[in-house]
Amino acid sequence: MAGLFTALNSGKTALTVNQKSIEVIGNNISNVNTEGYSRQRAELSPYPAMNFGDFFIGQGVIVSNVRRDHDVFVTNQLQEKSIEFGLQSGQTNGLAELERIFNISEENLSTEIDRFFDSWQELTANPAGLVERDIVIQRGELLAEKFHNTVNDLAKVKDNINDSIISKVDAINSKISEIAELNTRIFNIEIQGQTANSARDRRDMLARELATTLGIQSYPDSKGMLAVQLPGGLPLVQGTEAMSLEARTTGTDLDLVLHAGGTERTLGLHNLGGEFEGLVHIRDVLIPDVKNDIDRLAWELSGAVNAQHYVGAGLDSVTNRNFFTINQSPVVPPPPPPPDPWVDAARNISVSLTDSSHVAAAAAPTPPAQVGPGDNRNALILANLDDSFLINGADTFNAYYGKTTAKVGIEANQNQLALGGAEDAMNQLQNLRDGFAGVSLEEEMINLIQYQRGFESSAKFLSTVDEMMVSLMGIKR
Amino acid sequence: MKTTEGTTYRMLQTNLSRITNQLEDLRIQGATGIKLAKPSDDPAAIRPVLTTRSQIMHTDRYLETMGISLDVMQATDGHLEHVENVLQRVKEIAVNAINGSLNNEDRTVLANEVSHLKQELLDAANGMVDGKYIFAGYQENTKPFIANPNYNPDPAVPAPPPYDPADSTTWPYIYQGDANPTQLEITPGEFLEVDLTGNDLFLGVSNSNWVNEATAATGQPEPNRIDLFSVLTLTEEAIRTNNLDDPNPPPSGRGLQQQLTNLETAANQERRLRSQLGNRARRVETAMLHQTDVRIDLKQILSRYEDADAIETFNEIIKQETAFQAALNITSKVAKISILDFI
Repeated sequence: MAGLFTALNSGKTALTVNQKSIEVIGNNISNVNTEGYSRQRAELSPYPAMNFGDFFIGQGVIVSNVRRDHDVFVTNQLQEKSIEFGLQSGQTNGLAELERIFNISEENLSTEIDRFFDSWQELTANPAGLVERDIVIQRGELLAEKFHNTVNDLAKVKDNINDSIISKVDAINSKISEIAELNTRIFNIEIQGQTANSARDRRDMLARELATTLGIQSYPDSKGMLAVQLPGGLPLVQGTEAMSLEARTTGTDLDLVLHAGGTERTLGLHNLGGEFEGLVHIRDVLIPDVKNDIDRLAWELSGAVNAQHYVGAGLDSVTNRNFFTINQSPVVPPPPPPPDPWVDAARNISVSLTDSSHVAAAAAPTPPAQVGPGDNRNALILANLDDSFLINGADTFNAYYGKTTAKVGIEANQNQLALGGAEDAMNQLQNLRDGFAGVSLEEEMINLIQYQRGFESSAKFLSTVDEMMVSLMGIKR
Repeated sequence: MKTTEGTTYRMLQTNLSRITNQLEDLRIQGATGIKLAKPSDDPAAIRPVLTTRSQIMHTDRYLETMGISLDVMQATDGHLEHVENVLQRVKEIAVNAINGSLNNEDRTVLANEVSHLKQELLDAANGMVDGKYIFAGYQENTKPFIANPNYNPDPAVPAPPPYDPADSTTWPYIYQGDANPTQLEITPGEFLEVDLTGNDLFLGVSNSNWVNEATAATGQPEPNRIDLFSVLTLTEEAIRTNNLDDPNPPPSGRGLQQQLTNLETAANQERRLRSQLGNRARRVETAMLHQTDVRIDLKQILSRYEDADAIETFNEIIKQETAFQAALNITSKVAKISILDFI
């Protein structure tokens, strides 16, 4: 009878274990579409055997652990690649905007430059014409306007990048503190010998998301807690302690500040990775670079035009007039001396002439001679400035703009390629991860059948034992 | 390693979105006909495209400038023809006056006709195009030729200084323009003089010798050049005074005989400048043809950089559409087949 009871007991363990396994399968099926979920599986082991006379006979089965399918290598790879993906995708929007500003359609800055010099060429055919003179001034104003618009657009892209940084900081902070909370939870669960599968899944996913946005690096410590660091090594999560980021605006500038244990650190480009690095790269490297180019262009162009215009004479025989103004009165308090003379030239360029008769189409007359209205000599020289290699002796104005545009074009082109590559790599790694840790419905279904059969046969076993007991009871009538 | 729902659907999703993206790009290319829409499409092509565009703009401007130049030249030529006719007629009259045995009345009639022809010459010299004097150099708003109030035909009268071929301030007509022919740029770097200055054409004073109306031009008289107005005035005077021959040789000799030589010099001077202008007009015409060709070439270059090849684009669209259809087919097959139908 004692043997039968033992059999009954082991049958019972089989029932519960199969039930438990089916429960785990059910949970897997429920989470088939949950992002970052790792397939779990019940680990079964035989119940400790009992000495039965000369033999050890098993006492049934037990779920020793519920483990998740997990591969550290793939997880780390995925996190690494997320940084690259974030870096590229962070640049995409900004570059698309820049491509719009530096467009190569029929209407752009270079067309305005062409038209401005064309208006001088037009003036050479009728230097006395007030209409032609007015056109020159208007074309100059439109050109200045185009320069203003370009730098304003660049400033707007900068603002948009700042806005998107601000909007992401809150989500980042909540992720950082969630990782710290998960660290506590996982430590508390695992100290009791259990595995905190879903908490670890969640923590892995948060780390990946932070890698995409911030380019973080993470490593587990001896207590199973995840330490999270910025690329430069500044800590974001240490054990159970979470730091926080702040987007601090001063005027139109925006700085990222890390609050770490009572101290503050301003984060530079080298402290950032992923999407933020991409955004800040566009904001702090590419935009200032192209803005510098545009400023230089405005400065060189107005300088060359002014120099030639200065020596020519208007219809009133007056020489020494500038066509463009580039430097406005200094802002109060005066800014520190700029390293390049063309700083903000594109913003400040304007036409200083208002009277069309002041347009210096004529060569300066030798006093007392007056300017002949048909004198077009200076206009001829001015009209040809755009063909001269005036910037660094290597570029015409137009070609210089083309170079700047090509700079943006190359960045955008590379970004598209790199983003495509990063996306492919991410996809492959995701597939690899799913291959290890994802939920396959086919697999689960077959396992379901397997455990159902297991359950059924244990039930059968139990009823057999029961029948045996009945027969045993039936011996005595 | 296993295939899961996640990997299958991710694969489908990636492929579908890649194909739709490419299809979208191709359709934009097909609809606009332009393959270079953004700087990133071909960064290397940006500089040539911008340069070519500004060259096309220049070419358009050159063509327009040349059109204007031709207008001026044709108008100038019309005036020059008139001048030639005037000189011809004066010569006929002079020959008539020298040969015939004419009485005083006859000579007066002839002299009056020369006087009228002189007026005609003056009108031609003050000719205008587009509201501007064409023989005035840069002084296009100033009437170039007026009668000299200080003209003194009689060498016996000391003041004002009598007519002297070496002193342009004593000539019968003074020139108020300047010695600057208008230059226009007709092809890159080629500057062409599109008009003639009054001093060169009518006064026979080279541009380099002309100072202004109040200062005597240097180096006068120049060899083979002569002041047309002086010739006509002196001819008129010679006919009127019946001064047939003068012991002094031309140009200082003031007899009719000498004026005949002078008239020949004048006609040569006018014809020489006229043919110069004609040559320049011809240069403009060939340059126009050349620039039109250049314009076509430039358009071709631009098109090569920025225009999409229609046939290639549409072929590519069809290719991608087929791929898209295949991807959709696979997607629907995957959705139809499930292990749940079998257990």
